[in-house]
Amino acid sequence: MKTDVATDAFPPPISWRARLLDLGGGGLRLGIVLATFAVSLILVLGILAALGVAPGRGLSVFVMGAVGSQRAFADTLVFMAPRLLVALGAIVALRCGQFNLGGEGQLQVGAIGAILPATMLPPSLGWLLLPLSCLCAAAFGALWALIPAVLKLWRGADEIIVTLMLNFIGIYLVKYLVQGLLQPRGSEFNMSAKVADGAILPVLVPGTRLHAGVILALLAAAVVWFLLYHTAYGIRLRATGLSPRAAQVQRLPVARLLVSSMAISGAIGGLAGATEVLGVQYRLIDGFSTNIGFDGLAIAYLGSLEPLATVLVALYFGAISSGTLALQSVLSIPGALSDIMTGLPIVILACVHGVLLLKGRPLWKSTR
Amino acid sequence: MEIDAVTLGLFLASAVRLSGPLILASLGELISERAGVFNIGLEGIMLIGAFAGAATMVLTGSPMLGVAAGVGGGVASAAILATAVVIMRADQVVTGIGFNLLALGTTSLLRQLLLAGPTESVSVRAVSVYKIPVLSTWPIVGRGLFSQSPLLYGGVVAGLLLWLMFRYTRLGLLVRAAGEGATAADAAGLSVTAIRFGAMLATGAMTGLGGAYLAIVASGGVFVDDITAGRGYLSIAIAIFGRWNPIWVVLTSILFGCADALQYQGQSIGLNISPALLLMFPFVLALVAWVAIGRSATGPSDLGRPFIRSAR
Repeated sequence: MKTDVATDAFPPPISWRARLLDLGGGGLRLGIVLATFAVSLILVLGILAALGVAPGRGLSVFVMGAVGSQRAFADTLVFMAPRLLVALGAIVALRCGQFNLGGEGQLQVGAIGAILPATMLPPSLGWLLLPLSCLCAAAFGALWALIPAVLKLWRGADEIIVTLMLNFIGIYLVKYLVQGLLQPRGSEFNMSAKVADGAILPVLVPGTRLHAGVILALLAAAVVWFLLYHTAYGIRLRATGLSPRAAQVQRLPVARLLVSSMAISGAIGGLAGATEVLGVQYRLIDGFSTNIGFDGLAIAYLGSLEPLATVLVALYFGAISSGTLALQSVLSIPGALSDIMTGLPIVILACVHGVLLLKGRPLWKSTR
Repeated sequence: MEIDAVTLGLFLASAVRLSGPLILASLGELISERAGVFNIGLEGIMLIGAFAGAATMVLTGSPMLGVAAGVGGGVASAAILATAVVIMRADQVVTGIGFNLLALGTTSLLRQLLLAGPTESVSVRAVSVYKIPVLSTWPIVGRGLFSQSPLLYGGVVAGLLLWLMFRYTRLGLLVRAAGEGATAADAAGLSVTAIRFGAMLATGAMTGLGGAYLAIVASGGVFVDDITAGRGYLSIAIAIFGRWNPIWVVLTSILFGCADALQYQGQSIGLNISPALLLMFPFVLALVAWVAIGRSATGPSDLGRPFIRSAR
């Protein structure tokens, strides 16, 4: 058991070519994930056919809507950003063995954190408002994620249930605030005031919605990758995730790792809320997130909990969002199709993983 | 504000009516958790049961058929989920999350296709109210407790039967064996896979019924997207707070039904609180319950572990 952990946490160096060709590892994994996407895309085209849309036409509208023009690709990247951030947050917690299913709640509360400095502080602070809002969003998300960590250590509460409950509490908290405290005087709409100009994530390409939050998300992927694989903290975190008991035997501070991994996870989730508020909506709006939290979780899992692979999966999920939007506006296909397109590959991949586990050849080590 | 007896009676009636979906779904979750399957997909099963029930009722005009379809939809979707997590050993949490997304997408899509046009309203009285003679005429509590849907009485009776089953019957012992010690059960010649699959089907029937109850009895047959709004997740928590004991699960469900009823009856009993906070209340109550119950909630030992022979 102990030797297992040691070899997993400190893998022997392998050249990148060997790694690419190693069918037991990354190569097969990548192949299986791509096949999963292909199968679910075919199933979705089948659904489109049942709705009376020729698969070829459906596919072309979908692809054009996702990457067909500069504006479409910018939209895909904009949809990618919060999903990637939530996924990265989930990875930090999952690699430490913490089932943080609370990405949605952390995003909602992070959005509240972002809106407070962005609307309450004097606009004369200028560009300083942007980093302040982002920091506040991260802090709110981290605090929200500390609740399950503390309840787990203090009362033995299962973090799965607690984070799920906190998702709904976060959603209704936003609803409450935009109907009351954050609603501008005299307004009848369930939304906050507009954020100050200084707090807005700058648009990178004029004429598109592409904002600096996309860069923030990509940077976060690099940071999480560095943290997990190139710091002592990351090794301890992964060792704890692989076997908490072995970590305890090795005198790792398991409780502290649990708390800090959840806090980091929540902080990144909170930043996801900031990108939506400061980059897309410019206000806090009731129901602004369309299941971004669970999408992020799915992305983390489909990226086999690897920060860099997750970027590609998140890009695909961004394409799903903008592509189904095009299907909705061009062919009036209900937008609910995007939930099907995100749900299908997770279930399929989980089944493939399960069958391989049954045959004694797991694709990757379970974190539980 | 002074609360009079009539208002209190109305609140009680609403609370007990809204505890119905929670009773049915949390008893469903209890069955699969006792067999060792941590069923996060409960939310999705409930949603599919609700849609199947509402759609069938609207299209056929019969609430009875609607309820039957809810059960059927629940069993069919649970069979799909069980194929993944029991037979193919897919990760129970991850699959459940994906399944819930699928259920949300599928039901919203089908609602726009099947229930978009104007529909005739159907009387749901046949399945929504049965007055128990004599008892239902009691003051205050009579209407709340004894003039409810037959499905609700069914749920309470099912709770009692499950309690008897787990305590006194061989079948109950088999299910518990699959959840408490899958390896030992397997060594004794039992099929853990078959037991867990069967338990999941029972979960599907109960939860689908809970969904149909929600759409038909509690909402008068009107299906809106994501009608369950977290009640499936709440039911998973209730199964834990009831410590996997059917009697306690029923009682806990009624407590959470009271919390749920506040969003409709809060104003009338004089609570001047924002509706958003009342919507939040059941979930806050669930957190408080964790703090109160704490470490004493330890479930079946093999809960959440896919059974793999020769695994450590």
